[in-house]
Amino acid sequence: MEEKEINPAESLQLINSMISTAKNRLADDGVLIVFWGWLVIVAAMFNYICIRMNVEWGGAAWLILMPLGGIFSMVYGYRQNKKEKVKTYIDKYLKYLWIGFGVSLAITLGFMPFHGVKSSYFFLMLLYGLATMVSGGLLNFRPLIIGSLFAFACAVISVFLSDTDQLLCISAALLCSYVIPGHLLRSRYKSQHV
Amino acid sequence: MFKDLDVILHSQLRLAVVSLLISVKEAEFTYLKEQTKATAGNLSVQLQKLKEAGYIDIEKKFKDNYPQTMCRITPKGIRAFEEYVENLKAYLTVKPKN
Repeated sequence: MEEKEINPAESLQLINSMISTAKNRLADDGVLIVFWGWLVIVAAMFNYICIRMNVEWGGAAWLILMPLGGIFSMVYGYRQNKKEKVKTYIDKYLKYLWIGFGVSLAITLGFMPFHGVKSSYFFLMLLYGLATMVSGGLLNFRPLIIGSLFAFACAVISVFLSDTDQLLCISAALLCSYVIPGHLLRSRYKSQHV
Repeated sequence: MFKDLDVILHSQLRLAVVSLLISVKEAEFTYLKEQTKATAGNLSVQLQKLKEAGYIDIEKKFKDNYPQTMCRITPKGIRAFEEYVENLKAYLTVKPKN
């Protein structure tokens, strides 16, 4: 592109093409969504198997894996942030959404002894559903929105289950709202960044 | 009567830069260079003109010991862009007389 005069029709065409170039750039590579999906499934299933086998320390999986996941996310986010050549408003909204989600999650889990395991798991799934639905809307990515509906459905179903079986519900919710859409998001990102 | 189109924006490269910046929060010099396929020298000159007009902010910093130039549009730049688009519409909706 050079420095030259253009006519009004060319101007409009140029504006359209530049705005769509910037808009179509996918903000999220899906890595953290897939990572958290699997991490929570592993923790939930480990906890479930331990309870079924009468092993008492199954809950330790959460205490160990979640903080490790948090550290990984912060390091990964920091590195990605440094790599990015352009920051969009969507990046900013997503960042605050997931920070807010993380804080809500930590508070829900932290105060679990006060309001019980069962309602904590219920709110956990609602939070997952909310965060994935908003992300799906911001990224204009339908699988995340559909996945979030599964998370909401799992939350409703979990009301009628024991707190042990709720762990299976959490795994199912994460599979539908994180793992599957996350992998799809990843492949879309890769196809755009060859 | 038509309003004159803003001379700062009515140039291919400057308009491309402002159109890119209107859609994002901030962008690196290298990103603008890739997207506009302009030469670094020419892009620098045009960015400077946009800055002098108060349409963009340029922030120079260091990232991993390399200089990094970040550009973002200013409220004045957004107003100028909107006005430019309105004026363009006026030009384009008028059919030439036979």
